[in-house]
Amino acid sequence: QEEAQAIDQELFTEYKFSVDQLMELAGLSCATAIAKAYPPSSFTTSQPAVLVVCGPGNNGGDGLVCARHLKMFGYLPTVYYPKRPSKPLFEGLTTQCEKMDIPFLPEFPTEAAFIDELYGLVVDAIFGFSFKGAVREPFGSILSTLERVTVPIASIDIPSGWDVEKGKADGLQPDMLISLTAPKKAATHFAGRYHFLGGRFVPPALQEKYALNLPAYPGTDCVLQLT
Amino acid sequence: SRVPQAFPLPSLPRKQPTVLVVCGPAQNGAIGLVCARHLRSFDYEPTIFYPKRSPDPLYRDFTTQCEKMDIPFLSYLPTEVSPASPPHSLPDSTEFIPPFSLPFPPRARSRLRWEPGDAMKSSGGCRGPASHRLWWDVPPGVTPSRCVPAGWDAEAGGSGGISPDVLVSLAAPKECARRFLGRQHFVAGRFLPYDVQKKFELNPPEYPGTECVVAL
Repeated sequence: QEEAQAIDQELFTEYKFSVDQLMELAGLSCATAIAKAYPPSSFTTSQPAVLVVCGPGNNGGDGLVCARHLKMFGYLPTVYYPKRPSKPLFEGLTTQCEKMDIPFLPEFPTEAAFIDELYGLVVDAIFGFSFKGAVREPFGSILSTLERVTVPIASIDIPSGWDVEKGKADGLQPDMLISLTAPKKAATHFAGRYHFLGGRFVPPALQEKYALNLPAYPGTDCVLQLT
Repeated sequence: SRVPQAFPLPSLPRKQPTVLVVCGPAQNGAIGLVCARHLRSFDYEPTIFYPKRSPDPLYRDFTTQCEKMDIPFLSYLPTEVSPASPPHSLPDSTEFIPPFSLPFPPRARSRLRWEPGDAMKSSGGCRGPASHRLWWDVPPGVTPSRCVPAGWDAEAGGSGGISPDVLVSLAAPKECARRFLGRQHFVAGRFLPYDVQKKFELNPPEYPGTECVVAL
């Protein structure tokens, strides 16, 4: 976890990347990975409806970017974004989604069965690699509902609620994990069908410094399928 | 703040991965910087010539990002053109031309098919598969009347000026793109929201899969 935070810090302070830039590339990777694993034609619901659950931090921001690109790729995303930071970055991303006619739910579906009926896929953009400690409401109840959902869940970077290094045996079991920048230790506990790498922005010098040993991305793709 | 999506084309030949990126002083040049960085991550070997640097903090950060990716910045553009050199000794040139006059004396451009002199003439000096030219256009939201090629009129195009091999129109093709005679014309405008597309009657083509560029 510390290493992931150190890499992030270096990208911002030494390399002068802006959060906006990296978040846009991260969110685009997530949408691209989803499009590869779950093409719209594969949905059992009549429309390729996707529920994107966004948390209170950067992982939520990645989710907002992802939702916008999913819309452009022909999906019908709906966002649930209960705790919104009052920062221009997140306000901007929210507006961009609203102006793309992406609905924002006023409340979270109370039953897992409702989610299964309405959506063919759920994107978990609640907590990322900075997550530590106890889960605060409303995310505790959201996660318990998601744990009972039967449609596939795609988690951004870390399955929400998992310890970033040790995982969580009785926690969320997503079908897809999109590791951003590099897989985190918790990814060794990932048991779903699809593990993608995204966030193709790590400069070679930084990859070497942290001995990331990332495999090569194919061509100009912004994602790499690991499993 | 705007984050240009400036993914380079997947169709550029990979036999010779060296690419010269010539960046102008404004947004078009900044897009060139972003493109150079992505080219580097796609295993090309870009070199940048960026003589007039914008003071805009965002664009200065783009410059730092390129420097930290070990992308060299030329301090001057060689003045010699070598038409007699075998094609494989010339780099692929990817140019990002500012939407108005050249930022430096025309005589410095001779490596890139110019004849020396004040008039910009397309001399056709570099032949063969080693030379490709790519242009970025300026998106309409910023300077709607501008067109990429220096020497080209935004609407009418131009008979002088550079003759690029490939044109990448951002957001939507500009009027002058009708005069484009090169091999491939791409549009990169997938990031435009639908209401903007409708408002300006852009009628973009379908983008394949998750691609952010489409060939016209």
